[in-house]
Amino acid sequence: MAHAVISCLHANLAATEAVLCDIDQLGIDTITCLGDLVGYGPQPNEVVELIRARQIPSCQGCWDEDIIEGLNSCECSYPSQLAERRGQRAHHWTAAQLSEENKAFLASLPLSLRRDRLLFVHGSPNSQHEYLLPDMNAFAALERVEAAQADTLFCGHTHRPYVRELREGVIKMRLRRAVANPGPDIEREVDLPVRRIVNAGSVGEPRHGGTSATYVIHHEQDDSVEIREVPYDVERTCQAIVAAGLPPLFAWRLRHGFEYAERADDASHVCER
Amino acid sequence: MAMWALLSGLRGDLTVYAAVQAELRRQRVDTLFVLGDLIGPEREANALLERLQQPRRGDLQPHCIYGWWEEQLLAERGFRGERRADALRQSGGEAAVAALLQAVDPGHMAWLASLQFGFVELDCALLHGSSTDVGDSLTADTAPLQLLDRLTRMEANRLFTARSGEQFCVELCGGGIESRLRDLEGERQQHQSVPSRKVIGVGSGLHYTLYDPGSDHIAFRRAGGPIHATGRGFV
Ligand SMILES: [Zn+2]
Ligand SMILES: [Zn+2]
Repeated sequence: MAHAVISCLHANLAATEAVLCDIDQLGIDTITCLGDLVGYGPQPNEVVELIRARQIPSCQGCWDEDIIEGLNSCECSYPSQLAERRGQRAHHWTAAQLSEENKAFLASLPLSLRRDRLLFVHGSPNSQHEYLLPDMNAFAALERVEAAQADTLFCGHTHRPYVRELREGVIKMRLRRAVANPGPDIEREVDLPVRRIVNAGSVGEPRHGGTSATYVIHHEQDDSVEIREVPYDVERTCQAIVAAGLPPLFAWRLRHGFEYAERADDASHVCER
Repeated sequence: MAMWALLSGLRGDLTVYAAVQAELRRQRVDTLFVLGDLIGPEREANALLERLQQPRRGDLQPHCIYGWWEEQLLAERGFRGERRADALRQSGGEAAVAALLQAVDPGHMAWLASLQFGFVELDCALLHGSSTDVGDSLTADTAPLQLLDRLTRMEANRLFTARSGEQFCVELCGGGIESRLRDLEGERQQHQSVPSRKVIGVGSGLHYTLYDPGSDHIAFRRAGGPIHATGRGFV
C-alpha cells in the first residue's frame, strides 16, 4: 500500500487541489497532513474546508497554532523586521478571515499522529517551531527520532523535501562513577539504531528552488519514499494574494520559487516564548 | 590554572555548605559553582540563603544558578507567569508545596528570581539539569545518544549537571554515523564522527566535584562532614 504525506499547504488552494488530484490519480487513498494549513496564502477557509471535507488526518502546524493561540513566537523566526511585519500582517489577515468553525478545527488538531513506528509531526517531536533541516547534526537528528520511539519520522516546516537515513551509528564511551571501590573505568561501545527522517516539503509555499508543490509518498511494500513535484497554477494563487491585499512579496516568492526568501535566520533556534 | 568546585543539592543545609567551604579553603580552588537546589522542603533555608548572598570572611564567593526546587518555588510564588509548582504538587502533594513555601522567607525571592538557568564558562556548560529542562535528570545510565544531544544543544565540550545527584563522568570518546540524504538535487552521503565530549554529574550535598579546566582533570569528593565519617569519593 502507498501512503501520501503532505505539509505546509499555507492557504494555497490551487496547489492543494493539484496535489490532491495527483494523489487521486495515483490511486492512493491514505493521506496524512503535517499542518500549516493556513498562513501566507489567500484561501485559508477554502483549504481548511477541503482538508475537512476529505477527512485527511492532520497535525497542527506552527501557523495553525499561532492563529489559535495568538502570535507568541519572538522575532527570532524572521530574518528582518520587515519580514516580521509581513508575517504579522499575514497572521492578522488570516485570523480575521478564518471562520470560527475553521478556527475550532485548527485548535482541535493533535501535535502528532502515530501509526505503529511511523510518527508524523509538523516541526519536530519537541516543537512545531523546531526546524529539522537536512544538514542538521546527524546525532541530534537521530536523537529526535529515537526519543519519539519511531523508525521513520515524517516532518515538514522547512518547506524543503528530503529523505535522510541515519545508519551505522556507534558511540564509544568511557564511564567513571564515584563509588566506594571505583575500580577501572568501564568502556562500552553502543550501536545506534537505523532511523529515517522524511520531510514532506511544502504544498503551498515551496522553498526548494522551484515553483512546483512538493509532497512525499511512502510505499509500505518496500518501505521506500518518493519525493513528488507537482506543477500547479501559480498565477492563480499570486493574483489572489494581491487581490486579498496580502504582501505582494508572497506572490513574488511563489512565482520565482526562491529558496532563501524570508527563511528564518537561525533555523536551529526554538522560540521559548 | 586553579580549580573549580561544583556542588548542588544543599537543600537549605548550612552545615553541609559550611563543611564544603571549610574543605575548599585547604585546596587550590578559586571558583565555586553551586548548581541549584539551594533550597528544599525538608528544612528552613534562610540561613543558608543569607550566607550564599553575603559570604563569610574566608568563604569562596559562590556562583549560583537555580535548580528544580527553586523553579518550583518561583512558579508557586508567581514568578513564572501562569505556571505553578505543578511538578512538585504531582510528586509530593500539597504538603510538599506548603513545606517548600515555609522553608524560604519571601524576602529571598528577588534574589532567587535573579539567578540564571546556567553558566557557560570556557567550553563548559554548567546546568542543573540540561538545556532541555531544569528537571532533566542525566545519569551514568542515560543513553549516550541523549548525552551527546544535550551537549550538542549547548555547543559545549563539557556538560556539568546536578539533577540526578549522582557523581559520574561519561566520556564520549569515539564512533560515528553515516547519513544518506536524498532531495530534489540528488543523493549524497556524509560521515560524522563522535566528538570528544564529557558529561559530568557533580553530586549532591557533601558530595561535590573538583574540576581543573587546565588539565581537564575531574575529582569526585565528599566533604568530611558531620553525617558519615567514611569517604565515598575518590580522587
Ligand atoms: Zn509551513
Ligand atoms: Zn511551520
